[in-house]
Amino acid sequence: MTAETGAKVEDGPLIFPTETPHSLTEHICATTLHEGEDGWTPLWWWLGLGFALSLLGMGVISVAWLFYAGLGIWGIDWPVAWGFDILNYVWWIAIASGGTFISALFFVLRAPWRTSLNRLAESLTLCAALCAAIFPILHLGRPRFFYWLFPYPNTMGLWAQFRSPLVWDFFAILAYVLCSIVFWYFGVLPDLAILRDRAQRRWQQVFYGVLALGFRGSGRQWRHYQPVYGVMAALMAPLVVSVHSIVGMDFAGGATPGWHSTQFPPFFVFGAALSGFAIVLLAVIPLRPAMGLQPYITPRHINILGCLLLTSSLCVAYAYVMDVFSTYYGPDPADRVMFAFRLHGLYAPIYWGTIMLNIVFPQLLWWRAIRLKQPVVWLICLGVLIGMWLERFQIIVTSLARTQLPSAWGQYTPTVWEWSLLCGSIGLFLTTFLLLLRFMPMLAIAEMRSMLGNRP
Amino acid sequence: MPPVGEAPRTAIELSDRALVRHFPQLETVLSHTLDRRRMLKLLGLALASGGVAGCDPGTPDRGFVSAVRAAEGVVPGLPNIYATAHVRDGYAEGILVAHQMGRPIKIEGNPEHPSSLGATDVMAQALVYDFYDPDRATGPLHKGMPTSWPDLAAAMQKMRATAMTPRADGTHAGEGLRILTGTITSPTLGRAIEQVLAAFPGAVWHGWDAIGRENVTRGLGLAYGIPVSVIADPGQADVLLALDSDLLDSAPGHLSHARAFAARRNPVNSTMNRLYAVEPTPSLTGVAADHRFIATPGMMNEVIGRLSARLLQNEAPSGGPDWLAPVAADLRAHHGRAFVHLGPDYPPEAQAAVLAMNEALGGRGKVFSIAESPLYQPAVPTSTLKALMDDMERGAVQAVLILDVNPASQSPRFAAALKHVSTSIALSDRPHETALAAQWHVPLAHAMEEWGDARGHDGTVALIQPQAMPLYGGMNALSALHACLGQSLRPAMDLLRETWRDQLPSPRDWHDALATGVITGTASRLVDVPLRQVAMRVASPAPSPRTPPGPVLLLRPDPYLWDGRGANNPWLQELPRPLSKVVWDNPLLIPPDMAQAMNLRNGDRVILTCGTTRTQLPVWIQPGQATGCVVGLLGWGRRHAGETGSNVGCDLYPFREAEGFVRIEAARGDSISVPSTEHHATLIDATPSDVARRGTLAQFHDRPDFLVEAPTPQDTLYRREPDAPVAWGMSIDLNACIGCNACVTACQVENNIPVVGRDEVLRQREMHWLRIDRFYEGTEHAPDTFFQPMLCMHCEQAPCETVCPVGATTHDSEGLNVMVYNRCIGTKFCSNNCPYKVRRFNYFAFAATESRPAISRNPDVSVRARGVMEKCTFCVQRIAQARIAADRDGTGEHVVTACQAACPTRAISFGDINDPNAEVTRRKASPLTYAALPEQGTHPRVTYEGRILNRNPAIPS
Repeated sequence: MTAETGAKVEDGPLIFPTETPHSLTEHICATTLHEGEDGWTPLWWWLGLGFALSLLGMGVISVAWLFYAGLGIWGIDWPVAWGFDILNYVWWIAIASGGTFISALFFVLRAPWRTSLNRLAESLTLCAALCAAIFPILHLGRPRFFYWLFPYPNTMGLWAQFRSPLVWDFFAILAYVLCSIVFWYFGVLPDLAILRDRAQRRWQQVFYGVLALGFRGSGRQWRHYQPVYGVMAALMAPLVVSVHSIVGMDFAGGATPGWHSTQFPPFFVFGAALSGFAIVLLAVIPLRPAMGLQPYITPRHINILGCLLLTSSLCVAYAYVMDVFSTYYGPDPADRVMFAFRLHGLYAPIYWGTIMLNIVFPQLLWWRAIRLKQPVVWLICLGVLIGMWLERFQIIVTSLARTQLPSAWGQYTPTVWEWSLLCGSIGLFLTTFLLLLRFMPMLAIAEMRSMLGNRP
Repeated sequence: MPPVGEAPRTAIELSDRALVRHFPQLETVLSHTLDRRRMLKLLGLALASGGVAGCDPGTPDRGFVSAVRAAEGVVPGLPNIYATAHVRDGYAEGILVAHQMGRPIKIEGNPEHPSSLGATDVMAQALVYDFYDPDRATGPLHKGMPTSWPDLAAAMQKMRATAMTPRADGTHAGEGLRILTGTITSPTLGRAIEQVLAAFPGAVWHGWDAIGRENVTRGLGLAYGIPVSVIADPGQADVLLALDSDLLDSAPGHLSHARAFAARRNPVNSTMNRLYAVEPTPSLTGVAADHRFIATPGMMNEVIGRLSARLLQNEAPSGGPDWLAPVAADLRAHHGRAFVHLGPDYPPEAQAAVLAMNEALGGRGKVFSIAESPLYQPAVPTSTLKALMDDMERGAVQAVLILDVNPASQSPRFAAALKHVSTSIALSDRPHETALAAQWHVPLAHAMEEWGDARGHDGTVALIQPQAMPLYGGMNALSALHACLGQSLRPAMDLLRETWRDQLPSPRDWHDALATGVITGTASRLVDVPLRQVAMRVASPAPSPRTPPGPVLLLRPDPYLWDGRGANNPWLQELPRPLSKVVWDNPLLIPPDMAQAMNLRNGDRVILTCGTTRTQLPVWIQPGQATGCVVGLLGWGRRHAGETGSNVGCDLYPFREAEGFVRIEAARGDSISVPSTEHHATLIDATPSDVARRGTLAQFHDRPDFLVEAPTPQDTLYRREPDAPVAWGMSIDLNACIGCNACVTACQVENNIPVVGRDEVLRQREMHWLRIDRFYEGTEHAPDTFFQPMLCMHCEQAPCETVCPVGATTHDSEGLNVMVYNRCIGTKFCSNNCPYKVRRFNYFAFAATESRPAISRNPDVSVRARGVMEKCTFCVQRIAQARIAADRDGTGEHVVTACQAACPTRAISFGDINDPNAEVTRRKASPLTYAALPEQGTHPRVTYEGRILNRNPAIPS
């Protein structure tokens, strides 16, 4: 554990030298298959699951009441017709970017450190994308007709309206969620085969056996597997950019002051990267000790993620500056009125909170010492996630509250049903993530083993 | 049934009582004890009468037969239109009622009627709800408990017998019988009262209205000596001075005044007139003015005094506000073309002074004329409620018949005084405060269910004909008066025909009169009576000697609920008040400086005290209100208005009779949310867009198109104009718009727009498709006010259309931005993307929770479900009807939208902008025409004509 305080963390090991392919496989399989002495299902997992399920239950009640009573139970009104629904959607989809960035982008870039993190990060992506995917449906006035966005042949002779950013969004999200699932599943396939082979209990043999789809690790299979994984990674990397660009275009395509900006697509990609790296750090830091992952996820990983967080925070800062610049350089007085309201109106604390949490606090990460102080990094990441949520509130609500005509100015106060839905989505995220932690290998065993190479 | 008041002995009895309350007809049946045999009989009867219940009972005076065969002339899907009149405080406003399959659905103005000229006010538009109101009375009440018609007839018989009994002291028959009605202009009703008074020489008629105009009547008497009325024609006046006036918004004939006034407001079409207004609190007439001066009520007297000195005695100017001299000079400079109008809240002396001023200005015969009064017995002072109440308290009144007025709600003393009367009968359309205070409540048929007549402001008689059989039963006023005579009930139509036998001798004349709704040639004769010299002498009311300490409380009728009669009408409750935009409440309107001094904000509660009368209510800051002057709206806080209107707002009637100084204290730590559809004091300087454009006449003469921005290069890449032969467009003249909101209600009625209620308005979810935006310019102490009707602009490049993912809102070939409700999934992106924010979303199933019956809705317009977006359709149902008619008749498509039809000032014109001869095309070619938010590149089909103010250069702004 000397590396925890080591000065040259950049050159530190990516995996502790004591680890061998065998020990790695043993450790992960024991964790996943619930075997051996450190065999798993610790108390914190049960507590976490209980907490997550209670949040999820809250969300289920909230959704049930929503379907029964209608959108009126939320605080949205005619000037501010979007509130927590779209806000949470954008927030979650941004969180869902982290895994893809790390797993696909850095795979394509051949960064060796991503191997230890990719499974965890992708699992986070999967759970967050699931949470994001429910909101576009819930926010509809008549959610039972959500499938009308899909261009399917029908007796009405109608198709989706392809000029609408919401249709692009529907396709982008659908593609992203589906590809994320497939990419994740394809990556976990060899590990499922390992688990199948090591499983002692019958249900585990069947469970992992079915999931492994007959992967046997033959040379022929590996010869097909590697290029397909590479191609999928090459597809996913642009997809993560496109999905966030299109989410940005949901707003940029609107004529509302504060939305109608050409910088929104890259701005949303920056924001997505920021929240993606934040959620990975947020999960990794406590899971290292909790799951005994210190040998595989080292301070060097934390350091790298910290640097990435700082970089994306700077990108976001650039976007914020450009936001101010284009507002005051541009010709539209409505933009300026809206921005003035953003700076010192009713929701000003939200704007300044965004700046503090997303821009100011992450600057601490310039110092290596702070990057290595995991509790501090963890707090910064938590701040970033809250900050990103506030940023979305500021973009969606503040803009709608101050549009061109003062007679249509409004305000928005979320109700208990919106808060409970937010909690419910966090519950859904935690529940699915905890289940994945428990039943899926949280390190890419096969990839790690190839990295460990021929260590005895 | 035990006698009322005795405790029920068994549970069955208890349930019987509940049953009887709902079905008073059952009382006789249930009063017998039930044995098994009788019970079975009843059950059998109930079974057998199941089918009978579906049959039409007919009415006593008409042999109506239910529509087994379709009535002749009723075509399903097409409206039938019948003329009648809406009567408020005696004065008729001619209306046309559109029926669908026999159901009254929509009200339009009667173009033949001089008080309407085709337009309607808000209250007439909202009449449809009153007609269907589920809270209307369903049967007679005795001491608040249901009773039967025969019992009522017996009681009336008894009252008559008592009244007829010769007295020992030799007084006249009918001594102690009083009849209380509102202001009457109806000749037939007047005749009926005459007959009653003739039969009972001791009986006395009292005319009284909660919001009366007796100051005006008495002022006229003072000035001319005989009962006359002033018929104003503001269109002939070049200079007008409105002294706290209601000329354009509620005076009798206000629709015709507004029409004539507005015709002179657009400098492109006519030479502009100039309107000065002096008033303590902004009225619609005042904010329409070119110069609006603020004066406290005390100052108003001074202004009238000094003006009359200037105009009558030709005194040199001395003292007074510095604008007074130029105003007086302007009035004098337009001798014969100048008109002064004073509101009804000022004493008869002031009224006479203003009449004298008008005579001195030489406008008689041009801008106004003096005609016979249209009132029934105009010589009898109408404000006699106090005398009646004194008599009742003295015990001098044995019986009182109250005809469709509600003094118990409007005069706190009345209910107690009524207890001294042995027989009191109140006729009203609902069990309201007076009906419950009286011993007998007789359901009155709605005005749309009975025959009648009434005069307009110029005396022209409008015929009132029933539009449907009484929905809930009910007597009419004429029949009730005849019942007093003990004669057999005569159909009201016969009584009506009898009145007009000379004017309408043949059935054909009668039919024609019914079809047009008016009896031609009945306008009041002009009288050639000179001003009395005494009027010149009384003409200078002394400026009030001292100003009382503390604020002055002005009590004004609510613009829509009026004296409280509209309280149960949710359309009126939820219609934004023109300036404050407040709905569902009547906060005390306070001037901005008082708000500053007392540190009050909108919604803070204060304790209002006047002598021993006190109440607690929220405040609302009213820019442009005189310092030290607070305004309370009457008509609120009704206790028995119905489900919708009871206990909404604060009852301020007690303050009318209170004596003492007014005090206002902040109620501690208390603030409530007052629902308003405008949440921001919209000073125009804070408005990012140049949306309500305005300028002065001087600027207009300098460069007529000064409001139009430099032409921008055509963005031809995106411009896509529909290519159908017809292109619908609208032009709204902001010079004409007086902000009366008649269009908003008309739109709501026509398009089945639901009412959402107080709580949902607080959450900013009101559904009006058309709203009147109000902008202030200048300081909040004395702002200029601008109105701008805002509705779907039907943009050629509609931002809403591009963002809808399912194509639920699209463009049609005629340029309409259409909304396909069935296709809408409710993403609400269209609303977010609309720069005009005119789309409304059904957050709940608002339409399903409305209290009005489904049959009252317009069958041509879909009722929108929960989760669906909606907005102005340019009345696409009317366009479709016009298209069918054009196809059938080969004529052009003439479409009048609901808002356009209701507008008293013809501010809205609509039509085919491809047609070079269309009114809308002509108006769109005006140099004042501009599009709202042109920088959005939406190319709206709705354009505005900017507002021009005709400022007097002699008055520094």
